[in-house]
Amino acid sequence: MEVSRRQVLRAHAAAVAAAAANVVLPASAQTTLGADDLQLKWDKAPCRFCGTGCGVMVAVKEGRVVATHGDMRAEVNRGLNCVKGYFLSKIMYGADRLTQPLMRMRGGRFAKDGNLLPVTWDQAFDTMAEHWKRVLREKGPEAIGMFGSGQWTIWEGYAASKLMRAGFRTNNLDPNARHCMASAATTFIRAFGMDEPMGCYDDFEHADAFVLWGSNMAEMHPILWTRVTDRRLSARHVRIHTLSTYEHRTTDFSDQAIIFKPGSDLAILNYIANHIVQSGAVKRDFVARHVNFRMANTDIGYGLRPDNPIEMRAQHAQDAGASSPADFDAYARQLADYTLDRAHELSGVPKSQLEGLARLYADPGTKVMSLWTMGFNQHVRGVWANQMVYNIHLLTGKIAEPGNSPFSLTGQPSACGTAREVGTFAHRLPADLVVTNPQHRKTAEGIWKLPEGLLPGEIGYHAVQQDRMLKDGKLNAYWIMCNNNLQTAPNTAHETYPGYRNPENLIVCSDAYPTVTAMAADIVLPAAMWVEKEGSYGNAERRTHFWHQLVEAPGEARSDLWQLMEFSKRFTTDEVWPADVLTRAPEYRGKTLFEVLFANGSANRFPSSDIEQGYDNFEAKQFGFYVQKGLFEEYASFGRGHGHDLAPFDAYHEARGLRWPVVDGKETRWRYREGHDPFVEVGTSVQFYGNADKRANIIGAPYEPPAEVPDDEFDLWLVTGRVLEHWHSGSMTLRVPELYSAFPGALLFMHPEDARQRGLRRGQEARIVSRRGEIRSRVEIRGRNRVPRGLVFVPFFDASQLINKVTLDATDPISKQTDYKKCAVKVLVASATSRGTP
Amino acid sequence: MYSESHISSLVVHCRPEAAESAATDISTMSGMHVHGGIEAGKLIVTLECETESEIVAHLDAIQRLNGVLATTLVFHHVEPNRLDNRTAGEMQPWKSHAARS
Repeated sequence: MEVSRRQVLRAHAAAVAAAAANVVLPASAQTTLGADDLQLKWDKAPCRFCGTGCGVMVAVKEGRVVATHGDMRAEVNRGLNCVKGYFLSKIMYGADRLTQPLMRMRGGRFAKDGNLLPVTWDQAFDTMAEHWKRVLREKGPEAIGMFGSGQWTIWEGYAASKLMRAGFRTNNLDPNARHCMASAATTFIRAFGMDEPMGCYDDFEHADAFVLWGSNMAEMHPILWTRVTDRRLSARHVRIHTLSTYEHRTTDFSDQAIIFKPGSDLAILNYIANHIVQSGAVKRDFVARHVNFRMANTDIGYGLRPDNPIEMRAQHAQDAGASSPADFDAYARQLADYTLDRAHELSGVPKSQLEGLARLYADPGTKVMSLWTMGFNQHVRGVWANQMVYNIHLLTGKIAEPGNSPFSLTGQPSACGTAREVGTFAHRLPADLVVTNPQHRKTAEGIWKLPEGLLPGEIGYHAVQQDRMLKDGKLNAYWIMCNNNLQTAPNTAHETYPGYRNPENLIVCSDAYPTVTAMAADIVLPAAMWVEKEGSYGNAERRTHFWHQLVEAPGEARSDLWQLMEFSKRFTTDEVWPADVLTRAPEYRGKTLFEVLFANGSANRFPSSDIEQGYDNFEAKQFGFYVQKGLFEEYASFGRGHGHDLAPFDAYHEARGLRWPVVDGKETRWRYREGHDPFVEVGTSVQFYGNADKRANIIGAPYEPPAEVPDDEFDLWLVTGRVLEHWHSGSMTLRVPELYSAFPGALLFMHPEDARQRGLRRGQEARIVSRRGEIRSRVEIRGRNRVPRGLVFVPFFDASQLINKVTLDATDPISKQTDYKKCAVKVLVASATSRGTP
Repeated sequence: MYSESHISSLVVHCRPEAAESAATDISTMSGMHVHGGIEAGKLIVTLECETESEIVAHLDAIQRLNGVLATTLVFHHVEPNRLDNRTAGEMQPWKSHAARS
């Protein structure tokens, strides 16, 4: 790079950072040359990676993304970006990027046991369509399924939902968000009748105390963590309490680091509620006006296969989600067991820390923001844990107002927007509607302009169940889009991989890179990613954010949206819909699924000329109309008028995202609160209008132990999670070879004493063995994750060391979300003679 | 060989009393300049290097300095130094993967 260009870039970089930090630089540090000289074209987009939803500015030069910086006009991050921002410029340019369809072939024909070879899109789609049709004929819609993603754009998830439910008439559609936030979503519906948080990120600047339940925000949500630490430093009374099963970067900077035994968070939460009741801190008028009490069914099992003895013993495995009406006294009686002594005994946390935490919640003068992610959600009692936090905030009335905020953080960029709001779960339709409700199905059939009675009302297979049904040969045509399931599903060697290689099944995987899932599939479809297509995400604070297509996808890579719509052209209604539906509605006969789902007069009603000048749009070129706008407006009509209101399409290309409900052009920061939320009636102060009686539910539940606990043989807890540099399973970030070497290979974080007892030294290879499988890893006894005795931590990003061979496929029986945080293992020295399966 | 120029800028949030010494330490690291922000406890730092692993190593080192609360990226620019840089899709990894069944 020339010296002058380097100087300009350096000065520009410093100037942008100074502006973001609101720092004035000395004149000597400022540039005299303009940034215009760099010939970069800048546009806005949300970051590709996590659920925070940071705004970034993206620079394109000669058709390629070359630079990014935090968007100063984005309220979420105000110009800052975390280390993952370093991957944005390069994620699309990995040398192993998939650029043409691949299919397993032998002798010029498809063969499940053949090698993956390049084919045309037509060859791939023809093979898929043939298989799909045969499965439909022979087994029916229940044998077709799709595993989608919280990284899909909103219209991709919406198009997938239409194709699966209305096209193929199956609800076997689930997003990978099942693994990360099903517990959060389920609890919102149970407690408030409506999904997603009442508060927003503005709460960070209003709270007096932050309580982090199992969340390592400093590494996982660094930008939001910056807002927490800013608040902590700018207001001296503010305190941070972090609960975790091990110490990490977030506990380092917290005022209180509370280390508890896995699963005992339930006992701590009930102790806090008990303290609130016993100390007279219940806000009685709030509770009397806005809250109902219910008691949850208990002894609900662990979501394992029904023939597992653990499930057969559980009293309420079959109706785990049920609860019964109760009153304050009944709830208080249940809490009475959770004394300080008992909470201390179950959790191992010093009493002074437990009392300090309880007082914080009980003090009417302290505004508390509670934050959590996977620690609560990936929990065999995840719904209960989420609920217990709401119980505490509802008892004290500390909810739905600035600074008083129970806040569920999100892992993926559009887990809220696409998985939850669009409703790509096996039981959901858009805007919190559900497939089991005939009225809801009728609404969807009306908006989608489809014959009445077309949509199936049976809940489809959820994520873990899909793997089991593939293995059992009941699910035979399977499309995986935008996720790396073989690496991230639990107990993969026994429950996931066998289903992929089952000869009866055709497994299709759409991805931008050759992940382990793609390489185990039969057909691999190359996907366009991020700014190679027009897109839309919804973040954790209900913010919907759009971007334009800024560059072209390489080779023959195509967006998931194009793939879904193009594939729908290969089916006619006569081939996939039942005869009685077509007899009642003969006008649909002989039409393709593309015609009835996407060229239906609604999704295709905006011409390509509506696209903002200066932007390409591959899908509009291919299909002849403004696909994204049509799908979005059709989708938005599900939610407008009842609290899920989205703004008109074009508004989102202007704004740095807007938080729904958006009414008369105004976003909503605090839902359910008069004066902030237009749906709350005047004079009521608070209305939880998601429920018919406009009250929220406090639901009592006890402490129940995890599905598997350490014993004499398997004597250690295994906790899995992430490290910052490798986002999730690393499909995108591990593309950068230099980065891979920055954190090479998974590590086994272990207490020095536990290591010594087993004859292990730092850096030595160890076997981590569970009842299900084993992997090898290197021992780390220092480093930034410091575990207590009796517990080991392994990150799950490394494809060469699939820790999910070891994890247990236990789920929360209500939300069906997997618990990756708690199972029992033993750790042994890996000697040369014991070298068996890796 | 893969060769690139990375130019980026960071805001390093420090405890106010630790900002001065953190700035001094950062200035001694290769490729790093502190442009200002000591008074505000938010150091404006630029970093120039050739690989992501250097970036990550630097960030890790900064993160470990006393009194540093958070290191956040603001700007990142990358461009190849040589014309023979591989481009997307040139590697065909599936060719080395036999069927797994």
